[in-house]
Amino acid sequence: MNPRSGTHSESCHVLPSPQPSHKGRKGRAGFQTRPYTLQAVYLILFLTFVLVAPARGELVIPFDNPNRDKMPLAVPDFVSEAPGALNGSALAGILKNDLHLTGLFKILDNASAPSQAAAADPNFEIWSRAGAQTLILGSFRTSGDELVFEGRLYDVALKKLELGKRYTGKIRDHRRIIHRFADRVMERLTGIPGCFSTKIAFTAESQSRELFTMDFDGHDLRQMTQTQTINLSPDWSPDGAAIIFTSYLNQNPDLWKLDLTTLQYHALSTQPGINASARYSPDGRHIALSLSAKGTPKIFIISPEGHIIKMLTSGRGNDISPTWSPDGNTIAYTSDGAGTPQIYTIPVGGGAPARLTFGSNYNTDPKWSPRGDLLAFTARVDGRFQICTIGTDGKDLRVLTDKGSNQDPAWSPDGRMIVFTSNRTGQRLIHIMDANGEIQVPVSRVPGKTPAWSRNLK
Amino acid sequence: MSSRRLILATLVLLALVLVCAGCSRKVVRPDMPGPPGMAGPYGPGQLTEQSLQMVQAELKVIYFDYDQYALSPEAQAAAQYNADVLKRSPNGRIVAEGHCDERGTAEYNLALGDRRSRSVLEYLTGLGVDPRRLSIVSYGSELPVDPGHNEAAWAKNRRVYLRVSQ
Repeated sequence: MNPRSGTHSESCHVLPSPQPSHKGRKGRAGFQTRPYTLQAVYLILFLTFVLVAPARGELVIPFDNPNRDKMPLAVPDFVSEAPGALNGSALAGILKNDLHLTGLFKILDNASAPSQAAAADPNFEIWSRAGAQTLILGSFRTSGDELVFEGRLYDVALKKLELGKRYTGKIRDHRRIIHRFADRVMERLTGIPGCFSTKIAFTAESQSRELFTMDFDGHDLRQMTQTQTINLSPDWSPDGAAIIFTSYLNQNPDLWKLDLTTLQYHALSTQPGINASARYSPDGRHIALSLSAKGTPKIFIISPEGHIIKMLTSGRGNDISPTWSPDGNTIAYTSDGAGTPQIYTIPVGGGAPARLTFGSNYNTDPKWSPRGDLLAFTARVDGRFQICTIGTDGKDLRVLTDKGSNQDPAWSPDGRMIVFTSNRTGQRLIHIMDANGEIQVPVSRVPGKTPAWSRNLK
Repeated sequence: MSSRRLILATLVLLALVLVCAGCSRKVVRPDMPGPPGMAGPYGPGQLTEQSLQMVQAELKVIYFDYDQYALSPEAQAAAQYNADVLKRSPNGRIVAEGHCDERGTAEYNLALGDRRSRSVLEYLTGLGVDPRRLSIVSYGSELPVDPGHNEAAWAKNRRVYLRVSQ
């Protein structure tokens, strides 16, 4: 087994079922039947390639990319064996949009692309002269309602195939298939899978206040509730099976839980006062939220069934909007105990709060990046609201937005993107941007607020 | 004659159906008297529907300054007036509904609205209103009375509305 070269075509059936069959490189069926010494040799060979490869100038995008040099990428239109229901240019467009939104790629104009036959190896010289460092070729065929798609990622300079994937599924799932391939491309190039197969939940504004979900890029908008009342602040369970949200179904802001399979919802926390801004812990075994049952909104920890475990914060301030660190040991939250709303952190095991923000007299909605090193939040700047990030050490404050008024940030599961609301187009729409704020686009077709980004589900 | 009675009966029935449809529990409208008979800690009084509506009409909305939940002198005067109204009509339960203007972020506004309604509740009980009659609900910035995007609209939305029920 040579993990570094050769066509690696694995079949993936991309069906609506939660566990598509993947065969990873290391999980080959015959591996375990070999004798130990041979296993050791293969392991050493594999590790050698893995450790030596970067020194060979391998295609890798460092996550933080301090120089912000974008990787020049060419994605010519995908090629079909015969004309059919799907358009190769549109399919390639889905992939290009996914990768463009990360802010890491310079996607070359197709006009400069040399023509490319479906299954042939690419002419690397021509691509190199066109300025491409990476190249993605895709081919597909349809038969009835079935779709087979094959995508290949090449290193142009090294003239090497880096990734080859083959997917079979239904034509109606073509977006999901392309997104899945784009996730693998990101994993191959950065070590961290992309978030293109994820969803965003939010509550609508104006006429309807119902809970909606959509693909991260705005497609497949679905209404999830029929409460006929006000709803707010959804949060996805880590296993993707449920969404918790605050609702006025019983004429009080209570915490409810929506089962995403049955679309039934039931009340989880109905304390007098607010049951608001609830967030699952990263392992899904606790929920942090704000309860004012004891007189002033405080951060509480409750069980996933809604039983109070403990009160985490104390004092005279209004405490709301908890967010968990990825290791589950610290919670950041908003409190106006010092007179104006600011962001604090507190150990989940208990202890003294530490103030994180000082710059503006209004800092709210903290959200901890899944990478652990940054918090996104809303700050009032010159009378409008902007999305900011700050290091967990309180340093490196950045203001990412400046058009209109922007609120309610939430991170993608890979920590590469932020979803937020903005009224810059005239309506309050859900927008997404890369974590540096370079590319900012609206994704929702309806006005909405308090968006939440689902975890990545394999 | 009988066909006239039939028409009259149909019209009365239709009117009843429309009235019942209007009493939908789930549709939330800002600052209007709620449906009668809501459950709560204080038992049903001897008051008729008409008296409750009279009390509701007398009560004043209490307004707040931007980002504040403490009662300004004007707010205190309104709360004082309301306390007198409520003490004169000792039955009926009151929900202090707290609201914010649209500026500010959704979740913090929920906390601010909660704090505003508690400030009013504390002030009323301090003036002798029976605390067993009072409860609070925060709507944050979700239910403005004025949808405008200007100072005049915002000032109307930063409020606590006292909703009377049986």
